[in-house]
Amino acid sequence: MSLQGLPALTAAAVLLAVAVMVLLLYLLKPAARRMAVPSMVIWRLVLRTRKSTPDRLRWWLSLLLALCIALSLTLALVRPQISAFVGGANKSVIVIDDSTTMAAIASDGKTRFQHALVSARDLVQAGAADARFMIADTRRLVGSPRLESREAALSTLAQLHVVPGGRPQFPNILRSDERDVRAVLITDGVAALATPPNVQTLSVYQIADNVGITAFEVRPLPRDVHRFQAYVQVFNASPGNKQVQLQVAGAGAAPIRRVLQLAGGATASEVLDVSAYATGPIRASVDSTYDALPLDDVAFSYRPPSKSIRVVMVSAGNVALERSLKVLPRVQLSVVPPGQYASRSGVDVWVFDRFAPRAPPSSAALLFRPAPVDWLPHASGELRDTSVGAWSNAHPVTDSLSLRDVLAERALHIRDVARAQVLASDPGRRPLILASASGSKWVEVAFALEDSNLSLQAGFPAFLSNALNWMTGEPLALQAGLGVIELPVTRAKVLDLDGRPTAARELSETTLVEAFQPTFYTAIAPDRRVRVAANVLDPALSAINATTLTGMAAAKPVAHTAAALLPAAWLALLALATVLLALEWWTYNRRYTI
Amino acid sequence: MATPGALLDESFLRKLEVLSLVTRRPVHGQLKGVHRSRRVGAGMVFSDFRPYAAGDDIRNIDWGIYLRMDRLMLKLFEEEADLPVYVFVDASRSMDFGAPTKLDYARRIAAGLAYVALLNHDRVNLIAFADGVVQTLPTRRGKNQAPQAFRFLESIRASGQTSLQATLRRFFGAPRTRGLAVVISDFLDPDGIEPAFAVLRRFRHEVVAIHTLSPEERDPQLPEEVVLVDAEDGSASELEITPSLLEAYRARFQQHIREIEAYCRKYGWAYLQASTAVPFEDLMLKMLRAEGWLR
Repeated sequence: MSLQGLPALTAAAVLLAVAVMVLLLYLLKPAARRMAVPSMVIWRLVLRTRKSTPDRLRWWLSLLLALCIALSLTLALVRPQISAFVGGANKSVIVIDDSTTMAAIASDGKTRFQHALVSARDLVQAGAADARFMIADTRRLVGSPRLESREAALSTLAQLHVVPGGRPQFPNILRSDERDVRAVLITDGVAALATPPNVQTLSVYQIADNVGITAFEVRPLPRDVHRFQAYVQVFNASPGNKQVQLQVAGAGAAPIRRVLQLAGGATASEVLDVSAYATGPIRASVDSTYDALPLDDVAFSYRPPSKSIRVVMVSAGNVALERSLKVLPRVQLSVVPPGQYASRSGVDVWVFDRFAPRAPPSSAALLFRPAPVDWLPHASGELRDTSVGAWSNAHPVTDSLSLRDVLAERALHIRDVARAQVLASDPGRRPLILASASGSKWVEVAFALEDSNLSLQAGFPAFLSNALNWMTGEPLALQAGLGVIELPVTRAKVLDLDGRPTAARELSETTLVEAFQPTFYTAIAPDRRVRVAANVLDPALSAINATTLTGMAAAKPVAHTAAALLPAAWLALLALATVLLALEWWTYNRRYTI
Repeated sequence: MATPGALLDESFLRKLEVLSLVTRRPVHGQLKGVHRSRRVGAGMVFSDFRPYAAGDDIRNIDWGIYLRMDRLMLKLFEEEADLPVYVFVDASRSMDFGAPTKLDYARRIAAGLAYVALLNHDRVNLIAFADGVVQTLPTRRGKNQAPQAFRFLESIRASGQTSLQATLRRFFGAPRTRGLAVVISDFLDPDGIEPAFAVLRRFRHEVVAIHTLSPEERDPQLPEEVVLVDAEDGSASELEITPSLLEAYRARFQQHIREIEAYCRKYGWAYLQASTAVPFEDLMLKMLRAEGWLR
């Protein structure tokens, strides 16, 4: 229960009740005890020489003091909100910036976001009793902001937190025709928010030191796919020089440490040999004094397996396909004409160009407009001048690909999909790309590269890489920012870095997990595994001093911002009550009051 | 032998039998007594000589002088007379206070003094007063009158206000032999004690002022808020009792005592504080003897 901010009428009733109670207590005060004395002669002589205040006056004085004390305390407690005193609008919109930089720690140990919450609570509590508040945030944690009561607004504020990553935006909730709405944005001014002109900005910015990792990638050496390099970029967003300890660690070998000297605003890059580490997550971290933003101090990446993929391309000649396969890392390509095809071991993936063996190959196969064979879906006739109308983002082969502009002059008209899965189809929902995981995996493209522009698409190498990885069982490693991460798997169990299950929400074709700090997730689906490294890795987010509110922050320190806007009269009332109590004590001891 | 009353027990009366009242001036008694008188005549104590005149008792002629000087000289002797004793007992309501009450204490003092006086053949008058003479016991003389005196004293009840002046004016308005006036009172007279004592001075009585006090009125224990009710006139006053007020009261009470004592000492009267906290026997046998009014 809260008594704060009672409406004026209710508060007046409470004050009246308190006054009546005090008066009754005075009237009900027990009468003084009567005692007989032999004579009043001596007492009269004594009293004649002493100054005395008339009893009635003392009674009234005492009652007046008691009423003042009781009413001051009651006023301080109930804090009646009278619009004439409170002033301002009856509706308030409070937008809190909950972007990544708001997690920066200020000099008092609290984050900028915590300061923002304090300011927001002050604003809400200082508003009129019947005022309505709309709480919103720049990361859309509040899905549908609406005007609500003080208690509901405070409850909404309690649910907010920093949402790292993503792109903060000022919510589109203000209507230009509303005149009596006061809109306040509480931010550190780092995020680029398109703030409407009538919005008052409260700054919670404080200058702070920060060193962060802005890039971290593990990749094989072009000349030797068995060796891996880690590329680490460290950014000193502090105003001054910093000595930074960089550490890269993985399984199977000792951590690699470097000490960097970085000037304010400078960036340093390090390339480290991480071949000694086993396949798996690699963790990079930086350590520096007075670092205000821990989120960007750690980053994860993944060291892929160093195993080569043996690919045999069976084709009468396809330069584009051959070149695309050759540039893929770890691919050992050999090309044979269809006439020399013979199923054999020692091949990880077969790539059939306008050819298909009569019997299923010994290992996985990628087929472009294969000839009709029994082990593939039945096709009859041709599709002319078709294009990809729809494709699946949930399948590893087409994940993160755009096939929107893929056209084909001619394509097989596949009529019987059987046990295969359609990955892409034309606008008439006729399959163009299929995949099957029963038995040896295969991917069939219904058109030849010569008959389409697929090989000209930017995503074609990724398509090939996805297909090879999927068919060889190579787990997918993704990079993601912090916040909500969409994993291209369904019915997956998501494990964190320590192998513990993580809360995930499954949609129709994807699974959502949230990462509030840099981490590494492994999603295990029935048909595959997906690994994702969630990092900040954004110079704009690490630059916590790149505020547009520098002048305002310097003029109005955080602690005084709310107080200056909303003077707390109840403190004055408490002080008045204390003074009156002291006065009452003094007058009572001198018998000016009863 | 006197019948002991409820006021004084027999053993105490026996102790009193060896005492007598002392006067500092010759008395004006009319009957034979034990006190030195102003009159010269038959007595045991030599006073003076004078020439013999016809008609004088020849038994008092000093024959030794006649033989030496050939003149007839008559020896004169101080005559011993009785002492008129007026015992005034304050019976106002203010005396009905304390434990024991001041009135009880005053009654016992009066009984003791009356008994001593009666034993010595002094003429004793007992007067109970408040705002005037309430009741009197006419002059009594002789030990056999002690029971009457005791009964009189036991019959006194507290009532009325204090007016010592009115009492003395009325009592001494009638012709009274000059004697010893014993006033036993708390002297809480709204008009003050000086006008009353002036009456005694005018009639040139010897005075013994016995000031009865109770510890409760000397050092009252009162709550912070109290309505004080005057036992005599019933008037009430609501007071906030503070330490400073109590201190002022105590100081004023002491001043009241000192004023009475100073007045008495000034005119050669005896003054004695009789606190009810003091054992009665100590008062009679020690304090009064120490003051020189009993021997």
